[in-house]
Amino acid sequence: MSEATVVKPDLDFVKEVIAAGGESLKKCYQCATCSVVCNVTPDENPFPRKEMVWAQWGLKEKFQGNPDVWLCHQCNDCTAYCPRGAKPGEVLGAIRKQAIKQYSAPAALVDIVNNKKLLPLIFIVPAVLLALLLSVAGTFGIHEGEVVYSKFASILFLQVVFTPALIFGLAVGVLGVKKFWDDMKKANNVQSGDLKASIIATAKDIAGHQKFKTCDVSGDRYTSHLLVFYSFVALGIATALGVLYIDILGLESPFGFGYGTPVKLFGLIGAVAILAGTILMMSSRFKNEEKLGAGSYYDWLLIGIVGTVGLSGALSWLLRLGGAASVAYPVYFIHLVAVFSLFIYLPYSKLAHLFYRSAAMCFNKYSGREAQSQGAGQS
Amino acid sequence: MEKKYGVYICKGCSIADTVDTEKLAEVATKEHQIPVCKSHDALCSPSGLDLIKGDISGEGVNTVIVAACSPRAKHREFIFPGCIVERANIREFVAWTQEPGTEDTQALAEDYMRLGITKAKNSFPPEPFLLEETNKDVLVIGGGITGMTSALGAADAGYKVILVEKSGELGGWAAKMHKQLPQSYPFEALEENTVKRTIDKVSSHSNIKVYTSAEIEKIAGFPGQYDVSIKTNGTSEQAKAGSVILAAGWRPYDANKLDHLGYGKNPNVITNVQMEEIASSGRITRPSDGKEAKRVAFIQCAGSRDAAHLPYCSSYCCLTSLKQAAYVREKNPNAMAYVLYKDMRTPGQYELFYKSIQNDPGIMLTKGEVTGVSETQNGNLFIDLKDTLLGENIRIEADMVVLATGMEPNTKIDADVLKEWKVKFDEKLKESGGKPDPNAPLEPHKVPNVLKLEYRQGPELPGLEEAYGFADSNYICFQYETRRTGIFAAGSVRQPMHMLGSMEDALGASMKAIQCVEATEKGYSIHPRAWDQTYPEVNLQKCTSCKRCTEECPFGAIEEDAKGTPFHKMTRCRRCGTCLGSCPERVINFKDFSINMISSMFKSMDVPEEGLRLIGLACENDAYPALDALAMNRDRVNPAFRFVPVRCLGNLNLAWIADALSRGIDGMILLGCKFGENYQCHFVRGSELASERLGKLQETLGRLMLEPERVKLVQLSIQDYDKLPEILNDFSEEVGEMEPNPFKEF
Repeated sequence: MSEATVVKPDLDFVKEVIAAGGESLKKCYQCATCSVVCNVTPDENPFPRKEMVWAQWGLKEKFQGNPDVWLCHQCNDCTAYCPRGAKPGEVLGAIRKQAIKQYSAPAALVDIVNNKKLLPLIFIVPAVLLALLLSVAGTFGIHEGEVVYSKFASILFLQVVFTPALIFGLAVGVLGVKKFWDDMKKANNVQSGDLKASIIATAKDIAGHQKFKTCDVSGDRYTSHLLVFYSFVALGIATALGVLYIDILGLESPFGFGYGTPVKLFGLIGAVAILAGTILMMSSRFKNEEKLGAGSYYDWLLIGIVGTVGLSGALSWLLRLGGAASVAYPVYFIHLVAVFSLFIYLPYSKLAHLFYRSAAMCFNKYSGREAQSQGAGQS
Repeated sequence: MEKKYGVYICKGCSIADTVDTEKLAEVATKEHQIPVCKSHDALCSPSGLDLIKGDISGEGVNTVIVAACSPRAKHREFIFPGCIVERANIREFVAWTQEPGTEDTQALAEDYMRLGITKAKNSFPPEPFLLEETNKDVLVIGGGITGMTSALGAADAGYKVILVEKSGELGGWAAKMHKQLPQSYPFEALEENTVKRTIDKVSSHSNIKVYTSAEIEKIAGFPGQYDVSIKTNGTSEQAKAGSVILAAGWRPYDANKLDHLGYGKNPNVITNVQMEEIASSGRITRPSDGKEAKRVAFIQCAGSRDAAHLPYCSSYCCLTSLKQAAYVREKNPNAMAYVLYKDMRTPGQYELFYKSIQNDPGIMLTKGEVTGVSETQNGNLFIDLKDTLLGENIRIEADMVVLATGMEPNTKIDADVLKEWKVKFDEKLKESGGKPDPNAPLEPHKVPNVLKLEYRQGPELPGLEEAYGFADSNYICFQYETRRTGIFAAGSVRQPMHMLGSMEDALGASMKAIQCVEATEKGYSIHPRAWDQTYPEVNLQKCTSCKRCTEECPFGAIEEDAKGTPFHKMTRCRRCGTCLGSCPERVINFKDFSINMISSMFKSMDVPEEGLRLIGLACENDAYPALDALAMNRDRVNPAFRFVPVRCLGNLNLAWIADALSRGIDGMILLGCKFGENYQCHFVRGSELASERLGKLQETLGRLMLEPERVKLVQLSIQDYDKLPEILNDFSEEVGEMEPNPFKEF
C-alpha cells in the first residue's frame, strides 16, 4: 500500500467554489458519467469526476498546479448528461475562478472584479480615472463640428494610457502563468519536455479551435468563441497597423483611410465578429439555461465587457458617420472605459483563461499526457 | 349431494381446428354415460356461459366439466356457485401444443376428457372447518415502533390488542433518537421525534392492553384460539388471542467486536447509538475530554457486510449516519462530517434525503474501505482508507469517529447459547434412550426465546440460514408470513429496516393478522390457498402413528396426543397436502383432492398396447403455469404426455406411481420447484420431500422389473418454461428407448 496522503478538507474552499458559481457542486455522487461523455478530457485520470470530489471535500491543494480544470473548455456535455444535475461544467468554471485568484496577483482584485455587489465600482473607477486624465489633457467634453474622436482623446493620449494598461494586464497574466507552470511541473512531477514544439502545437490548436470542435451539446460555442477570438485578432491587427504607420513608419494615422484599406477592413470585420460572437454567446446561454445553466456572474461579466467594447465601438463609428456629436462622444467615452477595463482586468476576469488555459494546453503537450492519451485512444 | 354431470366442450381458440369435438363428446356420452354433453363456439362468451347456467337451473346439473382452456385462464367466468367445476385443459395442452388432426392429438384430448370426468367424479363439495369459538384478538410482541404501529393498526380497525413489551416502557430504540428521519415528501429535513405521541396513543387506546416489563412465557393453541401466558412483575397472566404479530425488534451489533476500527481502544470511537445520546444532550462533544467535536468521521458498515461479523447489510446505518452528520452541522455550522461508506444505501424514497444531506457543504462523502483507525499525537484520530473516490490511499484526521454499527434481530440465538442448549437436548435424548449426534447442529428454532410456542416442531419460528437469525421465512409472495400460520413477523425482527419501513411493515402485518382471524372464523385457509375451504381429513382408524406427517408438515400444524397419534391443529394448516403425500397408509385426503382421485384418474386413461404413454405431475404454482406459458409460446410437446396438476409436489404419494406404472404408463415426470433454502416452493420444501420419497421407491421398481429411470423429478422455476420443451423431449426419448412398460398387457 502506497503512502497515504493526509487530506485536509477545507470547508471555506467548498463554500468559495459554491459561491463562485458552483452551487450544484455537492449534488455529484461520483457516477463518472461526466468523464465518460467528455470529448476533451484525456483518457487517463480524466476530468471532471475527480475534480468534483476534490472540490466537494475542499481539497484546495489538489488544485495547485492542476492543468485539468483548464483543459476543460466548458462545452457542458458533462452537465447535459449529469444524472444528478451537478453541472460539472459550471463547477469547473467556478474552480477556475479560484485558480485565477491563486495565480493572478493580487488575489483581492479577482474578488473585487468578480463581486456582483461591486459591479458599478469596477466601471466607475476606470471611468473617473479616464475622465480625470482626459481633463488634464484638456480634451474631455463634447466637441462641436465634425465628429473626430482624436479631438476627444488624442492618439498620444491613447498610447500613453492604454499601452501601459495592456502591458499591466499582460504582465500580471504572464507572471501568473509562470507561477502556474512551475506548480504544474511540481504537482505532476514533470522535469522536462519540448517547450517550443508544445507552444507551436498549442497555437495551432487554438487557431483552429480544435478542442472546441469536439463539443457536442453546445456546439455553437465553437462558433461564438471562434468569432470573438478572431474579432480580437482582427481588432489587434487593425491596432497594430496603426502603431506601424504612426509610431514605426512615422506616417499619417491610417484610421482616416478609406474603407478598402486593410486597417478599415480588419476593424470592420472585427466589429461584426465581436458583435455576432457575443450575441451568439448570450443567446446560447439563455437557450440552454435549463439544461446547462445560464453561467455564473463571472462568466457574464466578461461577456458584458466584451459586448460593451463591441457595441460601443460600433456605435461610435455609426454616430461619427451620423455626426451626432452630443451622443457620439459619450458613447466613445464608454468605449474607452470598456476597453480600458478589458485591459486592466485581463488577468482577473474570466479573460484570464487566455493565459491559463493556453498554459495548461501547452503543458498537456509538454508533459506528454496528451500524446499518451491519443495513443491510448488509437489502440 | 347427488351429482348430475354436465360436460361442455369449447370449440374456440383453435380447439375445433385441432381435434374432432364430436368424437371427443363420445368419451363423455358413451364411455362415461354423462347425461348432458354440449359444445359451443366460445364457452366463455355470455351465450356459452348461459348454456351452462341454463342446464344448471333447467337440468339440475351440479357437476360441471369444462373442456376448454387451462384452469388458470377464464377463472372468473367458470365459477358456478354450488357446483363442482372441473376443467379439462384441451386448449393449452392440446390445441396449442399439438399437431392438428392427428390420431395422437385426438387420443390426447380424449384422455384429458377422461381425466377431467374422473376428477369430477372423485370431487366433493367442501365443508369448512369451523372452530366452536374464534378469538379475534391480536397479540403483539414488542412495544417498539413496529409493535406500537401494529397495535394501533389492529386496534383502530376495531380489534382488541394485547401488547407485550419486555422493557419498562414503550418506545424501543425509536424513542431514544434525538431526531428522526423525515417521514414524508420531500424527505429532506430532520423531524422532531414523534415516538412520544405514538406511545401516548397506544397507552390511551381503549382497544389496547399494554403489558410492560413483561415476557411471553408460553403460547399454546392455534390461530383463532391461542392461549398465552404472560410473565409480568413476577406473576403469570393468562390471555387469549386469535393471531400474533412478532415485533420483537433488534439490538445493535456488539461494538466490542470491532476493535479493528478502534472501538474500546480510544474513547473517541463511539457507536451510532452513543451518538444519539450525545446529540440529545446538546453540543456534539467527544467522550475523552468533553471538547466539541468539529470533525466527525462516520465509518459505515461497521461490522455489517463483513463475513467476520454481520454478513448482511443492516439497511438503516447509512441513513442514520446521514442524519447524525446533519446533527453535527446543525449544532455548529463550521463543523464538518465525513461519511466513509462502502456503498451508500438509502432504501426507498430516502434517496431524496441522501441528496439533501449531500448538498450540505460541510458533509463530505466518499466510498472507500477503512484500513485502520489510529490515535494522533494530539489525541485526535486518523482514519486510513483505501480504494477511495479521491483516487488514492488517504488518511483523514478527525476529532471523533462514529461507527455505524448494524442490526441483530432479537430472535437470533447466539452461538454459545445454542451450544449450551445442544448439550441439554442431547442429554434429554440420551435419557429417553436415543442416540444423539454430537456433530448435528441444533436448529435455533428448537431453543425457547421470544415466542415460546408449544408446538411439537419447536418453540420458535423455523428460520433460514440466509436470514441470519431474522424471523424472515422467505415465505414466498408475502413478507409477513412465517412458517407458523397466524404468526406474522414485522419490522426489524424480520429484516433490517429503518423506522418508516418498520411502520409500513407493522401495518401490513396487522392487516394480515386481522385477515387470519377472519378467515379462520369462516373456515378458509390463509395465504397462499386463501380461497380454500377444504382441509385434510384423516381416517384415524387406519393411522399407524408413524408420525411422518407431523415431521414433514412445513407449518407445524400436526401435533400428537398422549398415545402418539397425530392430529391436525386445523387452523394452523395451509392446505398444502404435504401430509397427504407423506402418509404411507393413504389415510389423509381432501374433499376435492385425494389419493384415490389421482389414482383413479391415472387408471381412467386409455393405455393402448402400442405407443408411449407418459404422465407429468405438475406443481400448480410454478410448473403448471410454466406449461401454460410454453403453450402460449406455441411450442410443440410430445403427445405422449398427460399433465396432471397437484397442489404441491409434496403431495406425491408413492401409491400414485405404483398405480400409474402398473396401469402400463411408460414413465412419469415430476415437475416441482427448486430445492434449497433459496426456495420458491410455496410450501417450503415440497419437491425436496417428493425427491426423498422417490429415493425409497427405486427398490420397489427394481422388484417390479421396471427401470428406476422411468420416474424422474425435475426442478423447475416458472421462468424456466423455455427449457421445458427440451426437458420433456429428453425424457420422452429416454423412456422411448426402453422396452414398453410390460404391464401394458394387463
